[in-house]
Amino acid sequence: MIIGLEHYLFVAVLLFAIGFFGVLLRKNTLIVFMCLELMLSASILALIAFSRYHSTPGHPLMEGNLFVLFIIAIAACEVAVGLAIIVALWRRNQTVELSEINELKN
Amino acid sequence: MDLGSVICVILLAPLVAAGLIWILARERAALAMTLSLGAAGTILASSLWLLLGNWDGSAFEISTEWLVLGSFRVDAGFLLNDLSALMLFVVAFVGFWIHLFSVGYMNHDKARGRFFGGLSIFMFSMLGIVLANNLFMMFIFWELVGFSSYMLIGHYLTDEAADASKKAFIVNRVGDFGFLIGIIITYWTFGTVNLVELQKLAQASPEAVTTLMGLLLFCGVLGKSAQMPLHVWLPDAMAGPTPISALIHAATMVAAGVYFLGRSFFLFTEDALHLVAWVGVVTAACAAIWAFGQRDIKKILAYSTLSQLGYMVAAFGLGSLYGMHHGDGNEALYYGIGASMFHLTTHAFFKALLFLGSGSVIHACHHEQDIFKMGGLLKKMPITGFTFLLGVIAIAGIPFISAGFFSKDLILYVAKQTSLPAFYILTATALLTALYMGRLFVTAFLGKPNSEHAGHAKESPWTIYVPLVVLAAFSVGGGYMVMYPESIREVISHWVPHPGAADHKLMIIISAVVSLLGLGLARVFYGAGSKSDRLEDTVPVIYGISRSKFFFDEVYGYYVKKVQDRLADVAGFLDALFISGLMVRGSAAVAGLLGIAARRAHTGSVSTYVWWFFFGLLLFGAYAGGFLDGIIR
Repeated sequence: MIIGLEHYLFVAVLLFAIGFFGVLLRKNTLIVFMCLELMLSASILALIAFSRYHSTPGHPLMEGNLFVLFIIAIAACEVAVGLAIIVALWRRNQTVELSEINELKN
Repeated sequence: MDLGSVICVILLAPLVAAGLIWILARERAALAMTLSLGAAGTILASSLWLLLGNWDGSAFEISTEWLVLGSFRVDAGFLLNDLSALMLFVVAFVGFWIHLFSVGYMNHDKARGRFFGGLSIFMFSMLGIVLANNLFMMFIFWELVGFSSYMLIGHYLTDEAADASKKAFIVNRVGDFGFLIGIIITYWTFGTVNLVELQKLAQASPEAVTTLMGLLLFCGVLGKSAQMPLHVWLPDAMAGPTPISALIHAATMVAAGVYFLGRSFFLFTEDALHLVAWVGVVTAACAAIWAFGQRDIKKILAYSTLSQLGYMVAAFGLGSLYGMHHGDGNEALYYGIGASMFHLTTHAFFKALLFLGSGSVIHACHHEQDIFKMGGLLKKMPITGFTFLLGVIAIAGIPFISAGFFSKDLILYVAKQTSLPAFYILTATALLTALYMGRLFVTAFLGKPNSEHAGHAKESPWTIYVPLVVLAAFSVGGGYMVMYPESIREVISHWVPHPGAADHKLMIIISAVVSLLGLGLARVFYGAGSKSDRLEDTVPVIYGISRSKFFFDEVYGYYVKKVQDRLADVAGFLDALFISGLMVRGSAAVAGLLGIAARRAHTGSVSTYVWWFFFGLLLFGAYAGGFLDGIIR
């Protein structure tokens, strides 16, 4: 079996869907956060796959790889900020359940 | 000092005084009085400086650009010519003496700051009308005198005064509406509102002057000079303090309409002049009839003012017509101005005198205004009584010893030459005038006091009787040219028609008979110091007719209540339904509903927001992919 672009993309879509429904359905902020990271990873995978399969011999495409580096850097920042927010939420409310964090509405 | 700066001083002195009073002296009566009197003195001194030799009598115009809107341009400027010089003299002279009188008359009033401030604002506005060199500027000051009149009528803050001031203001707006349209039509036709240019253009092309133009401009006169049918505000305006009645509602402001006619005489066609004349004649006659139904000394004088204003307006119409048809030479054009301005001038003196005299009486009788509760005042208050008698003589027009004789004679003469019916009506009115003024004098001043207040009346202080004496001198001698500075004699001596010897004799005889008969009849019929109105006792029907004032107030009241208020109700309903209801509240309701819907979307649960986000993303993707092209273009 030759592993082609569509296989990679299938895995990427699957990962993205898992992440997306995790964000939608899970109530724990930490899990939601992890699901967000999962969606980012899915997009990274897709980008690398595109980059690899659109290269021609002697002329590698580097744009996808470049984006991946940027996305990882930004995701790292996001994790730092996001985790800090979650810690702050915990300190304030003693909970990280999304259903209970709706103060702005009420 | 050049002429322009002197004129600026004259105009601005009262404005500065009013401003200072407003800032500094609202609670300080003495300072307010000093400032206002000082301004009046400055006006009189500067005017006399101008008129006694420093102005050569030729027309002087100074003007500066004030407002430019595209091709439309309004200037601020002054025009000093024969006519405005005469009016300036009247306003400055009478104004000063009334200011002095006010100092004595208002000495117990609590709001003297407001009173004197208003007086100065009035002087400023009135002088603005007198000196303005174009119609727009005149209109602005015209409204300003309306405002100061409103403010001063309502000085006493009673319900009656408030109603009267509102009535005066609103009735004047009715007239001014026509006036403004007239000014706009004039501008439309000639492309300018400058009086000098207008005169040149109108005389170069008389066919451009339409009757409608003159009649619309005359609407302003109807309001300000209280001619029929807009006369109803003037008698009510007597709710104001007496000096105000004397200055604004007798001597100067109400005469502004007549002055305006003179200032713009070239805008009146022959048809317009006929109507002007007849409005004046009818006003003069009706007001004289109404005066018999009044018991209040000021109301009687108010109706007499109406009547005399009618004379002036009639004089303008009849005189101009006479000049058009019978006059020869350039001056015939001005006969209307001469006749009306002469009467305006003499009337300013004797009517101010009469009002100030009545003020002195009211002051002495502790605000008793009913003449049948006075009586015997001549003995109690000799100076007031005697000067009042001179005023009565002047308005009745006894030959040679009164100013009113000369000017009224002139009016009767032009009436006789132009329209016999007008002549008969005006002569009868002159008889009535002598009769009702005689009624007032014999009832209030002769015989014995009819009330405690009248019994205790004492002569007023010098600030009150000095103006009376000065004005009395002019009421007696105002018909003789020596009383006036040489530079202003032009209007009242050269611009008037001179009757031939036979007519002259006839007029003197008519005047003598009419005035003496009227006064004598009053003495015999009403009796000295009587307690009740003999006309009311003997022929109540005639008294009732006179008292009814021909139901003008009732008709207007009915009209306002039944027609105008209903119209306002309909307009109010439409407003509530469409503008306020559908448009204002409707759009607010739409926004409110949207708000409610948007609030529903905020559930507070993050996953809902992600769903929204997801749908948004789907929509965006669909748009980008071209799936929505059929819906969104």
